Amino acid sequence: MKAQLKLCGILIALVLIAASCSSSPSSGGSGGPKQGGELRFGSSSQIDSLNPFVAFQQDAYTIFGYEYPFLMQYDTTTLQFKPYFATSWSHSSDGLTWTFHTRPGAKWSDGQPLTAKDAAFSINMVVKYQKTATSCCAGYVANVKNAKATDDNTLVVNYSKPSGEVLPNLQQMPIVPQHVWGKLATGNGSQIKKFANAPTGNKPVVSGGPFMLVSYKKKDVALFQRNPNFWGTKPHIDGWGLQYYSNDDAMISALKNGEIDAAESVPPTALNTLKSSGITVSSVPGLELRDFIINSNPKKPNNRELLNPLVKQAFDYAIDRKKIASTAWLGTAQPGSSIIPPTTGDAPGTSIPWSDPKIQPPPFSLSKANQLLDQAGYKKGPDGIRVANGHKMQYTVIFAHDEAGAGDRSFSIIQSDFQQIGVKLIQRSLDDTTAYDQILAPNGKYLNFDLAMWDWVPLIDPDFMLYILTCNSWGIWNDSGYCNKKYDRLYKKQGQTVDPAKRAKIVYQMEQMIAKDKPYLIYAYNQSIDAYTKNWTGFVKSPQGILNPLSTQTLVQVHRV
Amino acid sequence: MRGADYIIKRTAFAIATVFVALTLNFLLFRALPGSAITSLARVPHSSPALKKALTHEFGLDKSKWEQYIIYFRELFHGNMGISFADQQPVATNLRQDLFNTIPMVAVGTLFAIIFGVITGVISAARRGTLTDHTSTMSALAFYSVPTQWLGLMLIIGFAGVLPAGGMIDNFLFHPTFAQHMEDIAKHMVLPAATLGLTFYGEYTLIVRSTMLETLGEDYILTARAKGLSRWAIVRKYALRNALLPTATLVALSLGYVVAGAILVETVFSWPGVGRAVYEAVTQRDYPMLQGAFLVLTLSVVFFNFLADLLYFKLDPRITE
Repeated sequence: MKAQLKLCGILIALVLIAASCSSSPSSGGSGGPKQGGELRFGSSSQIDSLNPFVAFQQDAYTIFGYEYPFLMQYDTTTLQFKPYFATSWSHSSDGLTWTFHTRPGAKWSDGQPLTAKDAAFSINMVVKYQKTATSCCAGYVANVKNAKATDDNTLVVNYSKPSGEVLPNLQQMPIVPQHVWGKLATGNGSQIKKFANAPTGNKPVVSGGPFMLVSYKKKDVALFQRNPNFWGTKPHIDGWGLQYYSNDDAMISALKNGEIDAAESVPPTALNTLKSSGITVSSVPGLELRDFIINSNPKKPNNRELLNPLVKQAFDYAIDRKKIASTAWLGTAQPGSSIIPPTTGDAPGTSIPWSDPKIQPPPFSLSKANQLLDQAGYKKGPDGIRVANGHKMQYTVIFAHDEAGAGDRSFSIIQSDFQQIGVKLIQRSLDDTTAYDQILAPNGKYLNFDLAMWDWVPLIDPDFMLYILTCNSWGIWNDSGYCNKKYDRLYKKQGQTVDPAKRAKIVYQMEQMIAKDKPYLIYAYNQSIDAYTKNWTGFVKSPQGILNPLSTQTLVQVHRV
Repeated sequence: MRGADYIIKRTAFAIATVFVALTLNFLLFRALPGSAITSLARVPHSSPALKKALTHEFGLDKSKWEQYIIYFRELFHGNMGISFADQQPVATNLRQDLFNTIPMVAVGTLFAIIFGVITGVISAARRGTLTDHTSTMSALAFYSVPTQWLGLMLIIGFAGVLPAGGMIDNFLFHPTFAQHMEDIAKHMVLPAATLGLTFYGEYTLIVRSTMLETLGEDYILTARAKGLSRWAIVRKYALRNALLPTATLVALSLGYVVAGAILVETVFSWPGVGRAVYEAVTQRDYPMLQGAFLVLTLSVVFFNFLADLLYFKLDPRITE
């Protein structure tokens, strides 16, 4: 009975959206973009929670970007920060006090005033519960002492240490309505995470972004309607929906048959089918990178030859990056080199790219690789496999489930090339949790594993990618056992350098250390591929796809043709 | 008296099974390498503090014994716990998943049972004829086809005619009741057919072979000698006697309806229990897994118990 009621609720919500939406799109004034209509987006990754303090998946962060105000956004094209809820900002000369001027006269979707007080409340709530309920988001407020709204339009954030990451951190920090969350942020804060934050009946979730969530079915769909009180640039569309597909082929079939209008993260294998069906495919260099991991823990007891720099160099030469990009990824990847991909853009306000242009992929050369291994003194046995320290150079490669598909094809290419340099690789496919557990084994000490293959999706700011190779990241993100005190000191220094140009120089030093020490052999930078029908235009491409948590540009600009 | 004994024994056995299964459900998932914290704490800027906070929050810092006792205590209070992954009550999550799964899987299973029994009986009755060969061959073919392959072929085959995935068209904004029903039916056809087609073969083959066995009995010969028609013999004598193994199979199938169908649900993006369990395994979401397996255990035990009682009714010899 309850279930039936729920279904009725969803139906009522759908009818309401439809009722409030104009049924036929109209042209916006004098030849401007067409107004109205609902955009139907398909996605193969799902929204794991509607609560910003519980969710982990990118699609969840994307919808928060459309539901909540943020102090600033990225400009999706230049990847520089641009004003959003904060119209301007400045910091004290010691970098400890940051002042943000926020939009006057803004309102939440329920008509309540949206002011700098909501921003101060959100930051203080995360600071207060950062060890418990809001621990997910502690990074957004790293080194924040407190936040104060000196008036309705001025926010002052006080830091205990100077930080070079104030803007990239706050760009990820959703401002939630104090009149909703204030009731939850009491006592030990346990109510914060328990809050479902879902639409109830026909009441949408209180929103301060361009759209509000009016209906949600877990693992199925999220439907949004334009926020009538939005204080920024109004979107052209009336609403949009994000339909989840657990099967890429079904999503592609739905796009071709007009069941949806656009699809994000399309597999490379579907490109030809889509193009031949008249679907527009957007393929741009993305942030995602593929890495071949070499256990770099100096205490590892077995197969210690893998710590030998000559072996690591030889492996680097023996990876045919061009072939992997063209064959395994069907041309939708480029050879990779640095842990910071070139798609991260320039350091804010400078023309210095975060990715060190001096770090280039080594040329593919099996003879050079063989020569390096000969130089290391590891001679080939009668079966063609080299012998190192009395045993065959034969290693198991932990292969995370994430990598299945194109990753399998990449492994085959690497495996057959390694065979030619006298190194035998054995693939061991594991689900992601088990793979990480095996890499950490035993008990977070990184003693057992030799090699692994996985991927990373870096953020625009380099901090996160640099962090994963620190000693502090052992047992959390570190999947290479790399730990270098000098590197850690640089990591700390770059984090506290407020001047972006100076910070970029430290970042280069760190990138070069990793390129030299080779805990990772970065072998591919993936493209970000999305597709949409010819009935729609105005999508803004970005290294994180057309639907992304970088900005609200895409759905504000998109409109019917 | 013997009948009462039988029922008491079966009841006691069912209850014991549930208890053993509850303990196994607790142990099984904790034996998997990795933990919920490994997958959940992997957010940018994650720290040892976050790991510690989550471990404490989920009670994973307590000893296994303590966790076991808490698990049983909460279960007896009717509390299945809070999902690690989305922090919502497991009961709420499962209720929605079951509500999504049961209609689709039940339709598929019922189709398989009805269609499978009919084709099995016809095959046996017309043994050695073209009908028998066609029916047995197609049953074997569907039985051996991988579910996901059949599903994908149906999506491709019916592209543009039937929807590729989902339970309803979420973007159908003004549905009348009739349109809504039509929409639901359209979405259910392919997944239910995939499930039904892969299951029905099993029924055909089992019913056919038990029927053939029964048709070879002396009393069938006697009935034939009495001049009864073939279909009267099949209906009145053979089918009833061949029902025993079929009843077990039906009971098992119905018991598993609440388990959903991982492959079918994945291929057709159906937000049901099967996928919820798969995701919970990959995320090591213990409370969700324990909850889902508790429901599955109760359902399987219940339907088996029903089958036991049905045996008692179908075949009085069982109590002897």
